[in-house]
Amino acid sequence: MEIVVCVKPVPDPRQWSKISLDPQTKVLRREGVEMVINPLDRHALEAALQIRQSLGGRVRVLSMAPLSTLEVLRETLALGADEAVLLSDRAFAGSDTLATVRVLAAGIRRWGIRPDLVLCGAESADGSTGQVGPQLAVLLGIASLSYVCGLEEVTPERVIARWQMEEGYARVEVCLPAVLTLTRACNRPRGITMLGVVQARGKPLSVWTAADLGIDPSQVGLSGSPTQMGDLWMPESGRRQEILPGKPEEAVQALLERLRELAVLPERPGRKR
Amino acid sequence: MEFGFTPEQELIRKAAREFAETVIAPRVAEMERTRQPPLDIFHAMAEQGFLGITIPPEYGGSGLGHLARLLVIEEIARISPAMGFMLQVFALGAAPLLDFGTPEQKARHLPALARGEYFATVSVTEATGGSDPFGITTTAEREGDHYILTGRKVFITGSSLCYLHTVTAVTGQDERGRKVITAFLVTQDMPGFKVGREEHKVGLWGTQLGEFALDHVAVPAENIVGKEGDGIKVVMKAISETGRPGIAATALGIIARALQEAVKFANERVVGGRPIGEYQAIQFKIADMSVLLDAARLLCYRGAWMKDQGMRCDVEMSKAKLFATEAAMTAARHCGEIFGGYGWLEEYVSQQLYRDAAILIPSAGTSEAMRIVTGRAALKG
Amino acid sequence: MTALWVLAEQRRGLLQPVSLEILGRGRELADRHGLLLEAVLLGNGVETLAEDLFAAGAEAVYLADHPLLADYSADAYAAVLEQLVREHRPDILLLGHTAVGRDLAPVVAARLETGLSAHVTGLEIDERGLLRQIVPAWGGRGMCAILCPQARPQMATVRPGVLPRPLLQPGRTGRLVRVEVALDLAAIRTRLLDFVPQETAAQPLTEAEVVVAGGAGLGDREGWHLVERLAEVLGAAVGGTRPPLDQGWIGEGQMIGQSGVTVRPRLYIGIGISGEMQHTVGIRDAGVVVAINCDPRARIFQEADFGIVGDAREVVPLLIAALEGETRG
Repeated sequence: MEIVVCVKPVPDPRQWSKISLDPQTKVLRREGVEMVINPLDRHALEAALQIRQSLGGRVRVLSMAPLSTLEVLRETLALGADEAVLLSDRAFAGSDTLATVRVLAAGIRRWGIRPDLVLCGAESADGSTGQVGPQLAVLLGIASLSYVCGLEEVTPERVIARWQMEEGYARVEVCLPAVLTLTRACNRPRGITMLGVVQARGKPLSVWTAADLGIDPSQVGLSGSPTQMGDLWMPESGRRQEILPGKPEEAVQALLERLRELAVLPERPGRKR
Repeated sequence: MEFGFTPEQELIRKAAREFAETVIAPRVAEMERTRQPPLDIFHAMAEQGFLGITIPPEYGGSGLGHLARLLVIEEIARISPAMGFMLQVFALGAAPLLDFGTPEQKARHLPALARGEYFATVSVTEATGGSDPFGITTTAEREGDHYILTGRKVFITGSSLCYLHTVTAVTGQDERGRKVITAFLVTQDMPGFKVGREEHKVGLWGTQLGEFALDHVAVPAENIVGKEGDGIKVVMKAISETGRPGIAATALGIIARALQEAVKFANERVVGGRPIGEYQAIQFKIADMSVLLDAARLLCYRGAWMKDQGMRCDVEMSKAKLFATEAAMTAARHCGEIFGGYGWLEEYVSQQLYRDAAILIPSAGTSEAMRIVTGRAALKG
Repeated sequence: MTALWVLAEQRRGLLQPVSLEILGRGRELADRHGLLLEAVLLGNGVETLAEDLFAAGAEAVYLADHPLLADYSADAYAAVLEQLVREHRPDILLLGHTAVGRDLAPVVAARLETGLSAHVTGLEIDERGLLRQIVPAWGGRGMCAILCPQARPQMATVRPGVLPRPLLQPGRTGRLVRVEVALDLAAIRTRLLDFVPQETAAQPLTEAEVVVAGGAGLGDREGWHLVERLAEVLGAAVGGTRPPLDQGWIGEGQMIGQSGVTVRPRLYIGIGISGEMQHTVGIRDAGVVVAINCDPRARIFQEADFGIVGDAREVVPLLIAALEGETRG
């Protein structure tokens, strides 16, 4: 099996309380926040390693990120990936999901492989759009299934996947090659072992630029991105400290409105009594 | 001169941190309550490869070396000084084999130690005191191709937990009437090995400390480590170059944790309308802790670097152990004092750090013993 | 006239509520900015649903009825949507951020090489006529606006339950456009086998996405019960401060704070908690903090994003009832 795992270095979600908005420049301040592998991508890598264990093959890691995150990628080699490539170029900065998948697809083409499986985390902790996996599938011309919460059967020809839905999951047969994006319910990612660190020494870790990929700069980065970021609102420091006025009924309604707006209420309701 | 870690070392630190935070942290409360060593954590540490860091790949380890080992112990000890301490002991137990073992001895034990099939330590101290290794009274009398060992070892971390002990015993007298001391590999399953009483320390709960007796234990002559008469050299090299830095790294974990907790508290706790971190009285304490951490790290890392280069480093390690363990006491005390009244409540970690730090001072040689080593070396010029 | 399109998502012949919610908002935008509001309905034997879509404000419904559209597959649904969009060139295409929407929309957007935003909680049209898509950022810490200035259609998936459900006006009619679709079974590479209902599994406190915590202000076990009930409705983990631990209402691993655990949920709701730093140090990394306390001077309100000053015994049952009403609907 040729397996490609796409990973994204993100600011460690456990340190987000350090992130704030500069009131003057409106630029996000995130000094001292470490970059880590997007947590769900660890599940994707784990699934790839398990599939390699049972079916054989090669696990390659692909990432588009600034050069400073190269060491984050080394981690994937210590975890067991066979090879990792960082796609990094100033031209890629500001890419939205469509521009990103153009770069990722170019990376896979440069390898000259036809992957059987491409695995991604279901969404990134920072952007959380969940779009990169399915969009990559379109560019590669292969099948896709997103938010997979379990893999029941994997053969070189097909996968029986559990597709996470609102009130449960659907079992879906997916013909390979395909892109699957995984949720945390899929597995429990392994930790780095010292043996893994030693074995990572001989594994290829490379950086490819836009020129290496032969990519048209107008198709990537800000200029290649159909979407643009408008304004960003964030409390300048600390919490909003908004007291909701009115009678209890009104305050509760106002609270629910705000929580819905911020999308922090659970997508799936809890267990009913 | 370079002060940065290699990407590989950074990765090792990260791996240890992740392990400590996910596997050990949820178990600390239980260790503090039961005071029992958590065997499953030791095995998980073995699985992660932490027990084989100083063991070369040909014997089943990773051979990542002593600096890597210190990074791991520091990160583990930051979450649980007791677990850092046990990790240090297990590497100490492998040291005599690594330094002086025959190929047969290495092949027999090192792979098993790296895998965590069983644990090892160095057992020297007797009732006569740990700072006087020549004062021991355990004897080993030759009988054919065996030695018969008789005596009692005390203050042994892992006395009942460790299967493999490098034990010192008197095998005779030299021409000037001095004791000839030899190191033997003794295993718990040898007839006559009797686990004795357990000691109850005020800290490092989750470690195990106690005694064992050797009652006419027949040890094959091939179990001698080094040559007959090399005993002190064998165990002192292990203790001074592997044991002491291990204790020092445990201290680093305590200092780092004390600083981290103190900073968190000082930024959050409001007195007189301001976070207490804005008061200089608190800032100075935090500054001192921060300097102690840097200084202790630099001493420790230098010693480990020398060890990895194959240089003799007993004096440097003594300095590191002396400074780091004393600094851990100071940092834990500062942390507790910054916490104010909360500092010495059972539910706050400062009191635990303080108790744990105190035990590091006499372990593998007291501060006075470290000063003697350092002073003598300095006086030699 | 340019059109605003809404994918009317149906499953087993039932419209997803979010589709109506989007139509409701779409109607407002269409009226204010002179757009056509049109729905796209895919499925097999679902024609009767068009009436509901008209009632919700759609002026036209494009109906693609085909056996291969009975069950969702990204391949079939995206092929039909792509064909329709290329033919009719709507300016805006909105979907619900449901399991189907979040799977389908990125595929459609990539095939059309246009922009797409996700988890949208607000939709506006700015002075340039561009759709401003409001999305939460950094786990609810902030919000940001996404625009798609050039490419068309402007696409977004909208979070269910955020926009109000419109009043249906039965009897309102519109244009039903039956769409010829040519689908090839061989080109459909995913196949739905069956569905397995599943309850939300309780998450451990330190990993939970929603945490409900209580403090001394709850008074007694009966008061504490409110915390547990709210947590149940939200599928949240339960935590607390020192007093509930002393009372035996929570276990040791559930105390949050300096001497307990640190939590990092998207949403934290603290009830009857005064907000001493010993506790709040453990919730610093929470995305959004809500406090309910009867003392307006309680320190927790300085550490909270939203606060309700009131008696927990009055406020929490109202909150539970409102949430339960939502899950039933």
